[in-house]
Amino acid sequence: MKNIKHYAFPSSVADAMSILMNRKYKAIIMAGGTLVGKTIPASAETYLDIRSLPIRDIKVKGGKLVIGAGVTFDEIDNSEVCKEWAEGMLSQVAAQCSSQLIRNMATLGGNIARPHSFNMFPVVLLGMNAEVMIETKDGKLLMPYADLLKESNLKPGENCIITEVLFPKKTKDMHFEFIKLAKTKSSWESYVILFFSNDKKNPKFVIGALSPRPFCAEEAEKAYAKNKPAEEIINKFQEAVSAKAKGYRAEAAVNLFKRYLGAE
Amino acid sequence: MKNEEIIHADEDGFFTIALNVNGELGHMIVSRNETLVEALRHYGWKGTKKGCDTGDCGSCTVLFNNKPVLGCMMPAVAAHGGNITTIEGLGTVRNPHPIQQAFVEAGAVQCGFCIPGMILSTKALLDKNPEPSEADIRKALDGNLCRCTGYVTQVQAVRIAAKKVKAMKKQQEKLAAKELAAEKRKAARKTAKKAAKKNK
Repeated sequence: MKNIKHYAFPSSVADAMSILMNRKYKAIIMAGGTLVGKTIPASAETYLDIRSLPIRDIKVKGGKLVIGAGVTFDEIDNSEVCKEWAEGMLSQVAAQCSSQLIRNMATLGGNIARPHSFNMFPVVLLGMNAEVMIETKDGKLLMPYADLLKESNLKPGENCIITEVLFPKKTKDMHFEFIKLAKTKSSWESYVILFFSNDKKNPKFVIGALSPRPFCAEEAEKAYAKNKPAEEIINKFQEAVSAKAKGYRAEAAVNLFKRYLGAE
Repeated sequence: MKNEEIIHADEDGFFTIALNVNGELGHMIVSRNETLVEALRHYGWKGTKKGCDTGDCGSCTVLFNNKPVLGCMMPAVAAHGGNITTIEGLGTVRNPHPIQQAFVEAGAVQCGFCIPGMILSTKALLDKNPEPSEADIRKALDGNLCRCTGYVTQVQAVRIAAKKVKAMKKQQEKLAAKELAAEKRKAARKTAKKAAKKNK
């Protein structure tokens, strides 16, 4: 914060982008500010506060669930639309994030724009094959969130802004399993975060908190889709986990997966 | 972008911001490093406590546009143009707010450091949900840590507060209805007098 010279409160995405892309400003985007508000880099000279942008809607559009990036965890927790989607999975996840005071401030966009290993929504978005709408200097771009995690040129908050998150139509009536293993219910730090979908054609086994970015146990997913025996699926899952982490947290992830498959 | 949407620091790195604190609109001069809780305390609202300074304890809770937020996680300048309610905005020693009365009655106050934050979280909860369940209460207060008690009396306090606030609102409604009726009677008398004058 020591070099901040300007505070900007844009009311449109276009205005926010013009400041972000203007090198004169050296801007850093902030929404809730709960994750990085205390560690603003010394290079930043403009605090770009995007809480006034019109990206705070939760709606169903074209059969997809669309959540604005500026929506807070509390709003997701209490949204009737979210409570009806995927058996209320999104509301349940939002309710498990830290404390009520943080949930009142923290936004979905902030949680996925700078994916920290303990953030929960990157895991959920990967598991539900969600897409993100991004505002870049060349216009709007819709892409799978999984691609954004891999994409090196697009850095939300630095050269683009995530405006919306879109959940596929077919996830509306699907059943998912979300597990957060942490010291206390309101801990932000988790030992393991797991997200499972047992969709027969396209299963998803996503693991968070064990590595800087969440990852899928792809070989285990393939084995599950091919109806392989539980032991083989578990072995593949264990291989994926041990490639990223070792110790009790990795063990806990495998044990929880065994329980999920009913193999323990 | 409109000029009012961007504010600049002066030569010494200070910003002038407009804030409505407890119903009074005013200006504050704050440094770029100052958090909202530091600025409020600097300007005399010392009921807001500075605890962990990392967003964990909730003792710096204030209502920002009617939502409880952590004053230590919010740069003071980011509050520019907002409405803030601190514990001083609720009641006074002589005329405490029903939620404050409830906390005293339930014996929920020990050292008192966490209480301003808890009371403001309670206020936001009861504004939204006048009849909260125990789960609702515990969820609403999960960001306000108390190192003296086991939270049992505080949950009781919120329950008592819910009843008191409900009673207070009923009384206010009755009073408002009475005033409205009195005004209507006054207006009717006036029109009757005017009509009588005309007839004469």
